Amino acid sequence: MPDEIKSPVPAIELTGIRASSGTFEILSGVDVAFHEGRTSVVLGTAGSGKSTLIKTAAGLIVPDEGRVRFRGQDIFGFNRNEEIAFRAASGFVFQDAALWANTTILNNVFMPLRVHKPWMGPSEMAETARVLLSRLGYDEGMALRPADLSTGEQKLVSIARAIIHEPAVVFMDDPVSNLDEEAADRVYAIIDELRTQGRTLIIGANNSELAYRFADYLGVIKSGRIAIFGTYDQTVAGAEEALSASISRLRARGGRKSAAVGNETSQRSKP
Amino acid sequence: MIAALGRAARVKTSNLMYGFGFFFEVLRETLHFFRRSQVGYKVLINQILFTGYEALAINAIMAVSIGAAINVIGSSLLPQFGQSQLMYTILIIVITRELGPLLTAFVITARSGTAIATELGTMVVNHEIEAYLAVGLKPISYLVVPRFIGVVVSMIVLTIYFNMFGLLGSFIVVQLVKPIPINEYLSNLLSILTVGDVLSGMAKALVFGIVVSVVATFQGFSVNRSSTEIPVAGIRAVGQSFILIIVADVLVTLMQYA
Repeated sequence: MPDEIKSPVPAIELTGIRASSGTFEILSGVDVAFHEGRTSVVLGTAGSGKSTLIKTAAGLIVPDEGRVRFRGQDIFGFNRNEEIAFRAASGFVFQDAALWANTTILNNVFMPLRVHKPWMGPSEMAETARVLLSRLGYDEGMALRPADLSTGEQKLVSIARAIIHEPAVVFMDDPVSNLDEEAADRVYAIIDELRTQGRTLIIGANNSELAYRFADYLGVIKSGRIAIFGTYDQTVAGAEEALSASISRLRARGGRKSAAVGNETSQRSKP
Repeated sequence: MIAALGRAARVKTSNLMYGFGFFFEVLRETLHFFRRSQVGYKVLINQILFTGYEALAINAIMAVSIGAAINVIGSSLLPQFGQSQLMYTILIIVITRELGPLLTAFVITARSGTAIATELGTMVVNHEIEAYLAVGLKPISYLVVPRFIGVVVSMIVLTIYFNMFGLLGSFIVVQLVKPIPINEYLSNLLSILTVGDVLSGMAKALVFGIVVSVVATFQGFSVNRSSTEIPVAGIRAVGQSFILIIVADVLVTLMQYA
């Protein structure tokens, strides 16, 4: 295990997680640590439990067993102020956007600002939302409702909502699903920028492109268990051939130009 | 057989305890609402508009009709017993103490109870509740408490409104049968109306408002992951509300007359 994995308190740490839906067990015996200021990608096929893993890590699903810690503190033991502080420090991109259907796109995007930065005026919030959405390539009206948008546009709005308040930790559940190539490229640019700023990114994905481009740490979840998790190079080199088609594809692509973990030339600063 | 009964009893007890826990959490968060939940004010205003304002017309029509019906029945029946003077007493008791809060609660259950349960259920299925959690808004504070306050306030206001229109409906019939000046009609009513009558109606309105809002929000959140659970939540909200309203009505009435 490399030093990075053993080093300081991880941003998010899951230990002994078991989660189920009714009698169906989704996660079992999950132990994984996501490191501060790093990008961790967990690959998994549909139904492997990666959405449940990301939601559990973000405290949106309460596991049947196990603990989730944010910087060493049990997130399910937070008092109200600690929980608000955690939410202010985190953002979540949902696989299916999960926009609030009964309100406008503008209200969807600037809600985190209203909650966590109430000192900003409405016009400042609206301007911040407009600038961010425009960078993501969203060019529809702000007064529209989510149902007026395509699923790809909804996804862009969902990404904007997750990062508008500049959280230190961003959870992303399949952030480029439903996006066309151009939109996906804009999302990649945003992810790259978040990485450069030293934010902790925890990404669940079912394709290898995100992992190839951004993963400092890479894991594979299979049938609700973390089959392998380590630095990108460790996982790509060490995973069994049959474990994941995505790993095979990554192996076939060879080494990356910018090795992530341990690449001290990357200009990162922690938020 | 006994094991199955035991399991069923345990599940029922567990659900009941969960329901009580939900209710007390709603009450606790309600105390903090006006101090910290500016983002919930819009939800509260929308709820009052939908539950209160938009139900004014149907409530008025129902109240006028009921008031008129009571007068028609009373004025044909009471003289046979030589008790015509009881007309105003019956009007006050039936409308302000019983039918005002009860029928208003049924209207609110049918309109808002189902709407709240299905809306929240849809939000659960679409992961919108998780999205609120993710941005730091507690669903009980942001979604339940404004609906709770909105329904309770609307229930009380609509009950007052029902009482006024119920008595007006009676006056309209009086004018048709045996015209009397409105001053005389009102003074007859007011001479019989007691503070207890008003408080009784308001107490029932308060209790019924709590019942409808808590049951509807609880059922909305009981939806798990399938859209087919949403109409079931709406139906359960109506059924449970009706039963609990009638039980509460009996209990409050017993407390008043015991």
